[in-house]
Amino acid sequence: MAYHPRENWNPSRRRRIYTRRDFLQRAAVLGIAIPAFPSILAACADRGAGEGAALAIGTPSSPVQQPLFDDNQAIESGLEPETGPLRIYNWADYLSPDIIPVASEALGVEIEITTFFNEEEAISRLSSGEVSYDLWFPTSQRVAVAVAGQLIQPINHDYIPNLSTNVWPQLADPYYDQGSRYTVPYVTYSTGIAWRNDMADSGDIEGQENPWDVFWNPKYSGQLGLYDSFTDTIALALLRNGVTDPSQATEAELDAAGDALVELIDLVGVRYTIDGAYVGIPEGRFALHHAWSGDLVNSQYYWPEDGDYTVTRYLWPASAEGSTSAAPISSDTMAIPINAERPVLAHQFMNFLLDETNSLDNFGWVGYQPPQNSLTPDYLIENEWVADFLRPALVTPEDFERDNAWVQGPLDAETEALWSDQWTRATSGA
Amino acid sequence: MPTNLASGAEYDTVGQKRWVWPGFALPGVVWLCLLFIVPFYAIFAVAMGRIDPILSRPVPEWNPVYWDPTVFARVFGDLFGGQLSGIAMRTIGYVFVASALCVIIGYPVAYFVSRKAGRYRWLWLLLILAPFWINYLMRMMSWVNLLSPDGQVNQALGSFGMASFPDWLAGHHFVVILGLVYGYIPFFILPLFAALDRIDDATLEASRDLGANNLQTFWRVTWPLSRNGVLGGLVIIMLPMFGDYYTPNLLSGSPRTRMLGNTIDQFINQTTSQGAIGAALTIVLMAFVAGLMIYYLVTINRATEEARS
Repeated sequence: MAYHPRENWNPSRRRRIYTRRDFLQRAAVLGIAIPAFPSILAACADRGAGEGAALAIGTPSSPVQQPLFDDNQAIESGLEPETGPLRIYNWADYLSPDIIPVASEALGVEIEITTFFNEEEAISRLSSGEVSYDLWFPTSQRVAVAVAGQLIQPINHDYIPNLSTNVWPQLADPYYDQGSRYTVPYVTYSTGIAWRNDMADSGDIEGQENPWDVFWNPKYSGQLGLYDSFTDTIALALLRNGVTDPSQATEAELDAAGDALVELIDLVGVRYTIDGAYVGIPEGRFALHHAWSGDLVNSQYYWPEDGDYTVTRYLWPASAEGSTSAAPISSDTMAIPINAERPVLAHQFMNFLLDETNSLDNFGWVGYQPPQNSLTPDYLIENEWVADFLRPALVTPEDFERDNAWVQGPLDAETEALWSDQWTRATSGA
Repeated sequence: MPTNLASGAEYDTVGQKRWVWPGFALPGVVWLCLLFIVPFYAIFAVAMGRIDPILSRPVPEWNPVYWDPTVFARVFGDLFGGQLSGIAMRTIGYVFVASALCVIIGYPVAYFVSRKAGRYRWLWLLLILAPFWINYLMRMMSWVNLLSPDGQVNQALGSFGMASFPDWLAGHHFVVILGLVYGYIPFFILPLFAALDRIDDATLEASRDLGANNLQTFWRVTWPLSRNGVLGGLVIIMLPMFGDYYTPNLLSGSPRTRMLGNTIDQFINQTTSQGAIGAALTIVLMAFVAGLMIYYLVTINRATEEARS
């Protein structure tokens, strides 16, 4: 069963939905799934040093085109769709269960969904070549890696007319994959600060020059949380320290970020969670939490019966008035694995999800916003898909072009080792 | 041990072919190879492997000739005096305190059920075990609900007139330790129950006949006879506790209460390229736990020998 926002809009009808979905999300986050052992075995690659291929990593200010390879061509136009089932490889709970039967009927095939709980697992299994899926949902920062590693195939735009007509121009021709050679956008989100205005003073966040600094405010000791996700949280500390492009952070800046996070342990008794924004805030476990915008849109379904959802607030420092801090913004994509057996169906499914109505229905359950021209913040608010007080949690195409918007790229192994070291320091609580 | 192979090498004492009885172990050996030795080797291969230059992921190195053990130097450095020493000490501390609590709480329960509950003992046993038909994770999640600021525990405290409530989930050592105790105690009680249940009443009667009071009987007869049950129970609960990471994750989330399992999870599940460190940590933790296991086996073995002589 799905939770259409309107079903729950009437406060008297709102109830605590504490279900399989919640369990799955927590379980997924905890990594209860068992990593596929055969994939480890199958990953026997050639030994030897091997030069890293140059990755084409784009940013909004310097977009890139992904390279094409002779042995990796898009399918021809005008092919007949294959027989089913269409096999989709996705994050858990990242497609509305309501939209699947609709898609199934529209495409005339069965749809099977296999889930992964983190991108490492997905890349590991796809690169082993031992699994075959028709459609995969990589984050935009991994597109360059997926292309260089030949995990995905180019797409044929003839099958996807909705891309040029419906999708924000900024993401129909995105900085990470100019010309959308390999991917189409799925959803978009920003990373900011979520709080309850009955437990935290909005003035400590809104109108501040450095809103991130609120996480270092001892006033909220024991009441604040950050994501248990090292790339997000090290980036937060860097941004709070005034770094505008965390991808380029120096070792000294990383050290300072690590110090700042270590300081949080005694200063505010910080806790690291993955469900704090959408479950912890409604439950009152947190007054404020590091938040992905989509989590916050979702949080309305996690309020207890007698709770008052309208106290929820979100701020994205890159667009907030008075703020000079940079803040993350990103998007996820859809791509077709190189060994997909049903690429035509996969193209059709992409086009299906880029349809206005379908993407809106999907948004109603997933909470992450599709970059559709017609689904403007005004439209979503007027039609009660999102409450007005959560307007800052909605992303606009212009947000990607803001001076202080930061899009995260992949970290190379050396840089990741430095980030990971700081994270170990921050979380060991020594 | 007597070696009594009177009828020669081909047959054992009861006249069976020598390979018959070992043959029964075959499925177990195959099982062990497939589900322990091969995965264990894979962990070594990841720990001492390379990093894929394009995908930045660890690539297992299957040929020991090319193994690169530098990661172990790094992990030992981190664990002994380095940035992981605090977390290692904390993990050991949590496990020992939680295990001690399991003994203090579990022993009387097992004793009561096996020796005092009379004909209702199976019912008692069933009642103790019933909650544990539910998945560990589900039970921990219910604790999150019970202990959250507006949860049932605080509501109950409120109805007793308490005005201010503790925030149980804010990162307290004792909450995590109690979570561990709650999660693992039935696995301690069960083997101990079996050990206590096996004690022959005649030995206890003999002790009393010889003038020992209840306390002396317990201390000089029951306890020594149940000690291996306690040890067995401890081994069963301590091994998974050392690798536990979801209990501190769910019941706290604070860096103050992280355990080694969280760190391993972090290297393996969060990072792309640092999996080798997680694999090496896993191996070091397994070696440590194997030390405990060997101690247990040696003790049991000695007790068996003593019983025979």
